[in-house]
Amino acid sequence: MTFLNAWAVGFAGIAPVIILLYLLKLKRRPMPVSTLLFWQRIFQESRRRAFFQKLRQLFSLLLHLLIFALILGALAHPTFDRQILEGASTVLILDTRARMQAVEAGGQTRFARAKAEMANVVHEATPMRQMALITADATARVVSPFTDDEKGLREALAKTAVTDAGGELDGAIKLAGELLRSRRGERKIIVYTDHPPATQPAGLNVPIDFVPVGTPRDNLAITRFATRAVLNSPQTSEILLEVANFGHETAKTNVELSYDGRLLDVKPLTIEPGGRAMQIFPTVPRPGNTARGWLTARLDTTDALASDNVAYAVLPVDPPKRILLVTKGNWFLEKLLGADQSVAFELLTPDAFNAALASKFDAVLLDNFVPNGFDLGTATGNYFFIKQTPFNTSGPAIDQPLITDLDNRDPVLRTVNLQNITLLHAAPLAVPKDGDWKWQTPIRSFEHPLMITGERHGGGRRVAALALDIGDSDLPLRVAFPLLISNTLHWLAGDEAAPILSRRAGEALALAPGETVRIDAQTPWKKSTATGPPAIAHDIFEPLTNGFYEIQAGDGSHWMAVNTFNDAESDLRAATATPETSSPALPAISLARVTGWPLWQYLAAAALLLFALEWWLFHRRQTE
Amino acid sequence: MAITIAVAPFPAQFSRALETAAAPLLFDSDFLAKLEQLYLLSKKLFRGAHRAERRSRQIGSSLEFADYRNYTLGDDLRSIDWNIYGRLDRLFVKLFEQEQDLDISFLLDASASMRWSPEGGNRISKFDQARRIAASLAYIGLANLDRVNVHFFASRLEEDLGLCRGKSQFHKVLEYLRQAPGLEGATHLSASLRTFSQRMKRRGLVFVLSDLFDPLGFEEGLALLRHQQFEVHVIHVLDPLEMRPEATGDLRLIESETGEAYEVTASESLLRRYHAEVDAFLQKAAAFCTEHGIGYAQATTAVPFEDLVLRVLRDGRMIQ
Repeated sequence: MTFLNAWAVGFAGIAPVIILLYLLKLKRRPMPVSTLLFWQRIFQESRRRAFFQKLRQLFSLLLHLLIFALILGALAHPTFDRQILEGASTVLILDTRARMQAVEAGGQTRFARAKAEMANVVHEATPMRQMALITADATARVVSPFTDDEKGLREALAKTAVTDAGGELDGAIKLAGELLRSRRGERKIIVYTDHPPATQPAGLNVPIDFVPVGTPRDNLAITRFATRAVLNSPQTSEILLEVANFGHETAKTNVELSYDGRLLDVKPLTIEPGGRAMQIFPTVPRPGNTARGWLTARLDTTDALASDNVAYAVLPVDPPKRILLVTKGNWFLEKLLGADQSVAFELLTPDAFNAALASKFDAVLLDNFVPNGFDLGTATGNYFFIKQTPFNTSGPAIDQPLITDLDNRDPVLRTVNLQNITLLHAAPLAVPKDGDWKWQTPIRSFEHPLMITGERHGGGRRVAALALDIGDSDLPLRVAFPLLISNTLHWLAGDEAAPILSRRAGEALALAPGETVRIDAQTPWKKSTATGPPAIAHDIFEPLTNGFYEIQAGDGSHWMAVNTFNDAESDLRAATATPETSSPALPAISLARVTGWPLWQYLAAAALLLFALEWWLFHRRQTE
Repeated sequence: MAITIAVAPFPAQFSRALETAAAPLLFDSDFLAKLEQLYLLSKKLFRGAHRAERRSRQIGSSLEFADYRNYTLGDDLRSIDWNIYGRLDRLFVKLFEQEQDLDISFLLDASASMRWSPEGGNRISKFDQARRIAASLAYIGLANLDRVNVHFFASRLEEDLGLCRGKSQFHKVLEYLRQAPGLEGATHLSASLRTFSQRMKRRGLVFVLSDLFDPLGFEEGLALLRHQQFEVHVIHVLDPLEMRPEATGDLRLIESETGEAYEVTASESLLRRYHAEVDAFLQKAAAFCTEHGIGYAQATTAVPFEDLVLRVLRDGRMIQ
């Protein structure tokens, strides 16, 4: 049993008033008369029955109280729980996409207007008119399941926030349809958005009302902002910036480029209506090891949607690879590693080498040295053997080998040119037959492999072997030498697993085991949006706000930039013009159709019968 | 245009003798002339004290022939009927009736119930009506050389005016009526009439002007008067609103005589019962008077005064 109008119980306070009116003596109109002779004769018989008159009064009071209680019960609208299931069901969909942040002519955002409109509808939630609340951006989320708790719905609505993510409303509408599938009675979907979809999902047999909350607006937006390392100059990066004009007039603006909060460059832009301007900022120095690499672009303009006037990017930050060089003395290798800022090497003689040290470095470079009892299957660490390798065969050395085959797709040979290299000797190598490893021979001399690279299946360990004596060739004098050594060391250290530096708002990111992300975004102007302890994502991270996010891993952290970058979100010209929006009609409640008369009608009928009885007993004779 | 102030031979001051704000007592000259043509009827013949115009059982010297008797020595020879002597050769003397005056008493109920008038009504009170009737009848009596007396009563009989005779005494009657005392207490008709019958040594015509609202009943007093050989006329003075009250709802009725309050929720059906009680009371009063040879007439305050005197009382065989 549920009382749909619980507020009616408040009327119970009238009951003491009814009793008080009975207790109070009736104030009668005084009227002088010449004689009471005739009145006394009339009531002579009535006085004899004064006792019964008092009983009649008490009975009248009880009847009135009973009638009052029945009316009170009818007002409270008692309903059996099984009837509530037959009530109307409404799913409210609130568009929380980035475009809802657009400011309308009155200074109110579309999202604020949508919330205000929705609040008017939520106010009508009753057990017979239950409502559910869904937000729609990149994904659809059920903020509140079906409930009659108007206060709960209002609180859930108040907690909703607009996002920087793009997306479609179809998913939310389909989700609403699924929620309504199990509901009986009248059903309806009401969508609060600035841009209703052109078509509705197929197979949806639920009426949909769209409440448009936006008018067409011009907008200037950054649609692309990306960085990449310059291959020929690992210490520098290139930056690509694209700005689109989703308006009807030519836009002139300046774009400001900042690096870690410091202004880096300002470029003027002039963009035709519907056009785009692309700007490239070359040779931006890559950050040092202690920098965050935050790169921001800001348009110096004020338009309807402010969130797409700022874009975020992260310059790649490469921590130096830890290399252990084991050699009896190799002037070329020592100079090469010392000049490479991307590596930090330590020098060790073969006598001092201990296999346990290998796990502390990203790669171990062994110059003409193979540790005693070296077993590739049990050894830890990544190894780069030069001249003496575990894969050397007992065959004779190859004299003046010609490099005949180069696999340029192999990462160790990226931008490496080995043409016209003069080699005096090369050790004969044999590719192992170990099935747990994947072997490659990027450099070959006819059928003889001159270089072998292997990677254990499932990752984790790598090995490379170069069957050359550096001193017996002119390779150290070539540009290819440092590139080959550096590529190989970076490949061994896992260089190709570059971290994810950029994501679109609303895109889900699967975190590796051990990785965590603080959910609140940071920007150079706003360090954190969280007021309490920071919320941490562990498995799946779906950023909904533009900015920088720090991804924590076991051995360090790196930053990731999140942007909207969605033409559909930035193009505000397609909004449906609605100067005045009327509240949508809620679905009707039809109890009688399913369950016959509601209980309150029985109570009202009983009150009517008692009322007629009271009239017949106490008033009939006086009014006949 | 009606003349509202009396003219000669009725003194002008008479017209204002009973004039009050509530009950103007104006007799115009036409009305007074009509009153002089009237005569208070008495079925019985009473012995008078003075010669007057009313027949009596006494043999006197009026022009009205009464009887013959044998001549005896000492009789006036002018009274012998010589025509009879011529035919019968015997001497007979013609006897004539003695016309005498009549004692007429007006007993006015001056209780509070008679002074009551309905709220918001513009009619005169029953007491004023009774005073005007009494004044009119007294004028008729005085004009016919009868002796007129006026008494007020409520719970008991008050001091009377004293006997007045002749139209010249009308001023005295009016002044007495005007200065009627405001009597308190419940009406006690039988005690008042008993006192009256004991006080009056000569019998005569008695007009009782009252609403008869005596909690102990009106029958005993009227029957006593009738038993004491008075010729009694009852003028039942009533107000239409006390016969047919119209107020409904929750009322607190306050009796004018005793101040007793009675709470009533008046409805249409209750009023109908009230009407039935009133009708039964009126029928009972009329039947009682008829049964005991008492003249009875209803005089409500709604009936115009002239109609009341010239038509109602005439129809009630009280005046001719």
